[in-house]
Amino acid sequence: MDYKKVTTFILAGGKGERLYPLTKDRAKPAVPFGGTYRIIDFSLSNAVNSGFKRIYILTQYKSFSLQRHIREGWNILSRELGEFIEVVPAQQRISEDWYLGTADAIFQNLYILEREKPEYVLILSGDHVYKMDYTKMLNFHIQKNADLTISVFEVNKEEASRFGVLKVDNEYRVIDFVEKPQIPFTLPENPSISLISMGIYIFNTEILVKRLIEDAKKIDSSHDFGKDVIPSMIKRDRVFAYRFIEEDKRESRYWRDIGTIEAYYSANMELLEIDPILNLYDENWPIMTYKPQSPPAKIVFLGRNIEILNSLISDGCIISGSSIYNSVISPSVKIEKGSEIFDSIIMNNVYIGENCKIKRTIIDKNVIIPDNSVIGYNIEEDKKKFFVTETGIVVIPRESFV
Amino acid sequence: MKNKILIIEDNENERLLYKEELEKEGYEVLTASSGKEGLSFIEKEKLDIIILDLRMPEMDGLEVLGKILSKRKNLPVIIYTSYSQYRNNFLSWAADAYIIKSSDMVELKNKIREILRDKKNGL
Repeated sequence: MDYKKVTTFILAGGKGERLYPLTKDRAKPAVPFGGTYRIIDFSLSNAVNSGFKRIYILTQYKSFSLQRHIREGWNILSRELGEFIEVVPAQQRISEDWYLGTADAIFQNLYILEREKPEYVLILSGDHVYKMDYTKMLNFHIQKNADLTISVFEVNKEEASRFGVLKVDNEYRVIDFVEKPQIPFTLPENPSISLISMGIYIFNTEILVKRLIEDAKKIDSSHDFGKDVIPSMIKRDRVFAYRFIEEDKRESRYWRDIGTIEAYYSANMELLEIDPILNLYDENWPIMTYKPQSPPAKIVFLGRNIEILNSLISDGCIISGSSIYNSVISPSVKIEKGSEIFDSIIMNNVYIGENCKIKRTIIDKNVIIPDNSVIGYNIEEDKKKFFVTETGIVVIPRESFV
Repeated sequence: MKNKILIIEDNENERLLYKEELEKEGYEVLTASSGKEGLSFIEKEKLDIIILDLRMPEMDGLEVLGKILSKRKNLPVIIYTSYSQYRNNFLSWAADAYIIKSSDMVELKNKIREILRDKKNGL
């Protein structure tokens, strides 16, 4: 297989309103994750590790932070060999609107497909965390002689209503697809399991172009793959579902849609388990990112009643006589003596003064927490000063005054 | 009421010829000498069909086609050009027909009739 026949698009244009205030100054795919990563690093690493190295990232809102991250961290491919990662802002070459939906985002960039003329188009979302070899999906697509293949994830029926749910026959040909159904379809062989779309599509280029043009001409369309384009294809085109195989080759499969603060928080916390389902240590499937040059993490004044447990501590941090439990600490964080951090996510360059107590809190970049601060212990008090989610996670936006 | 056709064509002689021929067919015909002018008609006129040249200075026909699509999604467009090589261009697939210019204009006239008939029948 010549992977130059595949053009990859990563959709990175969503506003990410449900991730606010983490998306106050950045697009959702650029939100920091797991200490040293950004969410988009997972899709990008998967594409590059799969050998699909002709990649366009489609951006629109607040794309500066994302662009900088790609420029600084992903300058690893060789143009001379036909490999590239290009960030494409909305250019209004066709329409004068912002992208109206996922399908419109590709349609507005039809001229890219025109130039590339690939055989296959891989479409990914920039806000999912998982590890996947797309070559296996492409092989399945070719073997099934499909027009469109949708990667699917198995969930319990009760959890399926938030997603696009597929109904398949025994050959895994898709016979129905409904976005956010009240009563989700289930597997023919198991009525408690539903197949949900992971928002990962492989199209034959010609059929993609034809269906996008059709969709662009429909007045009542929301120009979305899940809501409009895919349902219109099922009856007449060969649409197949590909069961996601994870690169860790484990029983449990890991795929997370980082749609809300809660999902973001729990996906980070899952990395702290002793043997996390998402393995970041696999040398055969590295997750790549931008890392600034910084010294190793340093931990000083450890003593009586001071512990650091179940936590990720990134480069450049200085932890001076403070305790940290179940937390993700990004690069260059300083925590002073007597402070205690529980179940929290602390992003780059945060300073936490002496004798602070912080629990279930996400602190975005460059925030200074003064001495003796208590955050996450009295939700009513916290609500007066910070953003607090329904489940009581406190979020302190970047560069805010505390 | 007469069906209204807009011709977007930069060559003045061709523009006049098409206008005359199509008026003889009983249509009301508007003309524009550039993509930009054509697009301004789309916003203010109630059109039934657009006849679109491809090779034009400034904004070429394919770009105009994209913009038409974003302004009036279901307005039929016939590409009318001397060149066949744009048939492979993905954006040209957004047109309802791709016709090579000919001196008798028969194919164009037939296509216009066909589109108007389909439209009337709600197809």
